[in-house]
Formats: sequence, C-alpha cells, structure tokens
Amino acid sequence: MFKPQEMQRTLIIGAKQDLENTIELLHTLEVVHIIDFKPSDADEQLHLGVPTKKASGVSQSLLKLRSSVQMLALERQKQMISEKISEEHIQRDVALKIQDMELSVLSLIETKTRIEEHFRKLDERIHQVQPFASMDVPLEDYQGYDHVTVFTGYVRDLKKLSENLPKITNNYELFTSEADDQMVALFIQKHSGEDAGKLLNECGFTEVKLPEGTGLPKQFIEKWVVQKQELSEKLLQTTKDILEFRKRYAEFILASEEYLTIQVQKAEAPVLFGTTEHSFVIDCWIPKDEIHDVLETLETNMQGSLYIQKIEQKHDDEPPTLLKNPRSVRRFEYLLELYSIPNYRDIDPSFILSLIFPLFFGLMIGDIGYGILLILFGALFMKAFKDSEGFSNIGWYIIIAGVFSSIFGLFLFGDMFGLPFMLVHGAEGETAYSWSTLLGVHIPIPSVIHKMESLGMTQLLVISIIAGYLHLGLGLLIGLIVERKHNKKHAITKIGLLFVLTALALLIFVMADWTIGQWLKPLKGSAVAPFLWDIFIPLVKSGFSLGGLLVPYVSLAFGILGIILIMFVAGGFGLVEVLEVTSHLMSYTRLAAICVAKAAMAFAFNMIGLGLILSGNIIIGILGVILLIFMQLMVFALGALSSGIQAVRLHYVEFFMKFYKGEGLRFNPFGYKRKYTTTE
Amino acid sequence: MAAETGIIAIGAGIAIGSAALATAWAQKTIGAAAVGAAAENEKMFGKGLIYMVLPETIVLFGLVIAFLLWTKM
Repeated sequence: MFKPQEMQRTLIIGAKQDLENTIELLHTLEVVHIIDFKPSDADEQLHLGVPTKKASGVSQSLLKLRSSVQMLALERQKQMISEKISEEHIQRDVALKIQDMELSVLSLIETKTRIEEHFRKLDERIHQVQPFASMDVPLEDYQGYDHVTVFTGYVRDLKKLSENLPKITNNYELFTSEADDQMVALFIQKHSGEDAGKLLNECGFTEVKLPEGTGLPKQFIEKWVVQKQELSEKLLQTTKDILEFRKRYAEFILASEEYLTIQVQKAEAPVLFGTTEHSFVIDCWIPKDEIHDVLETLETNMQGSLYIQKIEQKHDDEPPTLLKNPRSVRRFEYLLELYSIPNYRDIDPSFILSLIFPLFFGLMIGDIGYGILLILFGALFMKAFKDSEGFSNIGWYIIIAGVFSSIFGLFLFGDMFGLPFMLVHGAEGETAYSWSTLLGVHIPIPSVIHKMESLGMTQLLVISIIAGYLHLGLGLLIGLIVERKHNKKHAITKIGLLFVLTALALLIFVMADWTIGQWLKPLKGSAVAPFLWDIFIPLVKSGFSLGGLLVPYVSLAFGILGIILIMFVAGGFGLVEVLEVTSHLMSYTRLAAICVAKAAMAFAFNMIGLGLILSGNIIIGILGVILLIFMQLMVFALGALSSGIQAVRLHYVEFFMKFYKGEGLRFNPFGYKRKYTTTE
Repeated sequence: MAAETGIIAIGAGIAIGSAALATAWAQKTIGAAAVGAAAENEKMFGKGLIYMVLPETIVLFGLVIAFLLWTKM
C-alpha cells in the first residue's frame, strides 16, 4: 500500500517463428510493460524488429475506416453501444466491409459536395446579375455595338452625371435603376466614350462587370431562386441520409476500429523488440506478483520454446510505477498523479492523502450545513461527469470532505450555515442569533470551539499548528525512511529538521499555554497524568524570558541540536531549510484562517439576512430570504473552492516537499482495454 | 486607552492588508503564466496550481501578526 508494485525486469527470448504467438499471448495477459529496444553500436547482431506482414494491410483498412469516420463526423464518445461484439464476428470480411462502406460514404459525401457546389455557384451568379435586375434591359443588349460604348456600374453622384452628360454629347442613353441603389447603364457614342469615362470618374463611378447570358435579368434571377430552393431541399435530404447512415454504421465502425487498432498494435509490436535473423528478444518489466502466472502461461502455451531470463535490477534502472491500493484509496491516486506520477522508489502517499486531504478540507469548512451541501454537490458532480475519471474522482473527494465537515460541524464547532446551535454565553448583544433562539427549541449541541471569539481563534491556530507539526513530521519521517538507504546526508538533514520542527512546535504550545491547558484536563487521573503534570509540563515550562516571551530550555536545546546537525552535513546552506520548515509550519495556520474567514463571512451575511427577515415587514422579509439564500450559496461556493485548493496545496507544497520525488513512468502494459469488442 | 486600541486596530489592518496586496501582486504574474503553461500542456496543471498558491503563505504571515495584535486590543 505504501510502495508501488515491485517490478521484475525480464528478458523473453525465442525463435522468430514463435514471435506472433508470443505477441498474442502477451497481449491477452496485459501485464507486461515492454521497454523500447534501442539499437546500439556495441551489439551489431541485434536489430530493431520489423512489423509483421499483416501490418500494412490492416493499417490500410484502419486508415480507410478513420477517413470514413472523419467524413461522417462521427463523435466516438457520444456513441452508445448495446453490447460488445465478438471479435470473430467482426473479423469476417472486415476489409471488404470497410471498403464497401467507404464507397458508400464517398458517394454520399460527393453528392452532398456537388449540391453544395451547385448551390454556391447559383448564389454567385445571382450576386453577379442582381445589380442589373432593376433595369429593364435584356443582357444581350448591353454588348455587341460598333459605335456605342457601354458603361455599367454604380455612381455616387447621379445628379452631376445627368446634368453634365448633355455637355459632352446628345447621343447617349442613360438607364437608371428603379431600386434606389445608384446603379446606372450608360450607352454613349464611341468617340465621346473617353470624355464620358472622365466624367463618370468624377461622379464616383465603380464599374460592375456584365455577367454572361441573355434575357431579362429579373426573369432568370426568379428562376434561379426557385432552383436554389430545390437544391436546399435536396441538401437537407442528403444530410439526413448521411446521419441515417452514420447511425446505422456507428456500432460497426467503433467495433471494427477497435479490432483493427488491436491488430495494428500486435502487428507493429516487433518494432519494440530486438531481433536477429532468426530470433527475437523482448525486454520488459513484469509486476512481481504476476510474474509466476506470466511465466507459467508462456511455458504451457509455447511448450517451452521460449527462453526466459530474470535480470537483476540495476541502480540506474527506471522501472515503471504501478500503484496498488485498496479500492477506497485508488480514487486518490488521481490527486497524486495530478501533481506527478510517483517514482518507482517513492513511498506512495495515496493512503495518507486519502485520510488527511478530506480531513483538512472538512476542518476548514467545519459546518454541518455546508457539509451536507458538499455531500449533495459531490454526488451530483459524480453523476454529471460519470464518464470522466478525473471529474468523478473530484466529486468523490467533495463527498468525503462533506462527511468530515459535517462531523466537525456537529461535534467541534456546533454550527449550521454559520449559525451556532446554541449561544453559550447568551449575552452577545441583541443581534446575536442561534438555531435555538430562532426555532424556539433548545438544541443541545454545544460549540466546543467558537470560531468568532478570540479564544476560539487562538484554539484554532493551535490546532492548525498541531496538525502542521504532525503532518510535516510525518513527511520528514517518510523522507528519512526513503533517504536512509540512498543518501545519508539528506537523511541526517531530515532528522535535524525534525528537531527544529519540534522546537518550534513546543515554543508555540508554551505561548498558547492557556488555550491548550483545558484540553488536557480530561486526562487528569489517567495513567499518563503523572508523566504529563510531573515531568512533561514542568520541563516544557522551564525556560527564560526573552522580551516577555517564555523560551523553554527544551525548545532551545532541540533547536540548537537540529541546527548543528543540519549545518554539520549541509553547511550554512542548510539554514535555508530551517527557514523553509519554519514557514511551512506557519503555513498550516491557513487551516484556521480559512475556517474563521468563512465563518465571519457567513456570520455577517446571517446578521444582514436574518435582520431583514425578522424585521416584521413581509416584503422586506421575502427579500431577506432571497438575499440570504444567495449569500449563503456564495459563502458555500467560495468556502468549498478555497478550502479544497488550500487542502491540496498543504499536501503538494508542504507535505510532498519533504519526501516526494515523482516524475515516475506510468506502468503501461502491452494490451488493450476493450470497449466495444470481446474475444469470447 | 481607546486611542491605543485604535492604533493597534489600524496596525492589524495594515499588517493583513499589505500582506494581502503582496500576495495578490505575486499571484497575478504567476497565475497568468500558469494558465499559459497549462493551456500548452495539460500536465502542467498540477504544477501550475502549486506555483499559483505558493505566495499565499505571505498573507498568512500578515494574518498571524494581525491576530497577535488583535489579542492585545
């Protein structure tokens, strides 16, 4: 649970005629992580393997299939499949079927493109002829003259044109558009053409090219519009056909795609192996738990024709990481991998993460009302994103955090939606509310810690520091265990840091003596009491005063010892680590900070909202209810978001830095997770 | 006495306010860069988140000082 699965490096060597069968077996086993073979100059005998003969044919089919998928715009995730299709069934004439399908798809798509093309052309022509539509001149009349020049286009200043034209010549005819678009057609004697051109330019003339064709523009535009109508109906039909086709073939496409992908994977597997003329070598990692089964399967199925050798793990080997955790913890592996995949030699912190992450998350919210909301929200989240592994995991974290939050809310803080169940002192002013006073029923759930009081805040700060001390201490201990074998210097630094951490924690406990003293009371009379009151407390409390602050001798001793240890192995530079661990311990005060900040926000909103509701005026009351719900949701959203992020951060930054290296290689077994097909 | 309390309260306010400003300033730059990195490579999301929340420690120091002042009021 605390270490990734142990791996055994193994060499599988065999004759080439057994290659395909071996690949088949390994593929079904799905527990072998193959190491890419890299040809080296040192060994000229061993070459990179080549894909089997099947590879090119299968790849081609797959290519065709994928091009069909592309053309059909098939979205794989959205397809539902009624049941898995047996591989044997798909295998039959798969290449032929795909070819047929591709032809059908091609013809469908071609029809669609043709219609679209036609449609576009019509549009273009209508666009060209449109300017002439408002003039009652047949298109053929615009051209074919020997002594007449024709200008067609838009003018900006029509008045100027018609006034000045007679000054050039009287032999002209000017057609203007019936529509108000300044379109003109000017027919003018050829020898006056040049002057007319100049005049037109002065009037802001833009030429419109004469479209090809004969007849009255208005008429054939009408004809084309009708044609366009017909085409768009056809287009709709074809699109429908394509959709129909896609629906009918979706299952086949998905299943055969999976089948072919698997085939290609198998056919191209030899590229990962080293081969000689007659033999092959597979270099791989196999989990130690599985190795017995793997060897036995290979042995019985291949009748002992393979030579298998286990190789001793070397220091610079990088085995892949396969985490093994119980089901409940496995969901938290995602949170870990979001940071980095653990290194093979790392301690796997998933279990610790699965306990402490929701604990911190819950403590920061610490309210039974928000806790129940969190559980509901998490469940909804899981349901909405049940297809996405990551998001459904996040939903799960939210649920667990909600449970912790409810527990803290019920037993530690005694509040719901930022409102305490009962007021202990009862004398906090007229505006103080509680569930007991609001409902008129005495709810005997006390607040052990009052978030909104000075004492409660100090207690929360001390709790935060204790949590930080335990969490960081655990991190340093794990770091010590990991480094003990690899790097003695680092290991000693960790011990030194543990001392410094203890010194700091003791110092803070003594400072906060009056807040934690009362929590020890229940221990009076128990077995540990003599140790606590006769040895521990006097020892911790004996110290000297420094500027009004009591510095315990024990704390001083631990601190000096730790610093000496660190300086001894790491030199002056080690002091940076001392500073770091100090700031990391302080960093845990965010537990208290967010807890109080959220409570203060809820408290303020409750005062406003309840003040309005209890004002006596019904309209203001209703407004108050709406406002209060809105504000409560805001507190919930902000609180959940910041608590979640801060709980993650305390792990990623403060905790992981003490021992976690990450950057591991994910265990990626040779095989395929079948979704649509089955071999049975 | 009242004046003294007021001065302490202002001090606490400055402590947490300036620390929060410093955090915000740091996060502004880091946040933009982290989002950019995550957009290019999704695997950077986790790392980006860590860098993003690193400066939050600054505001906590401010909070602790403010709190210590507050208890003296």
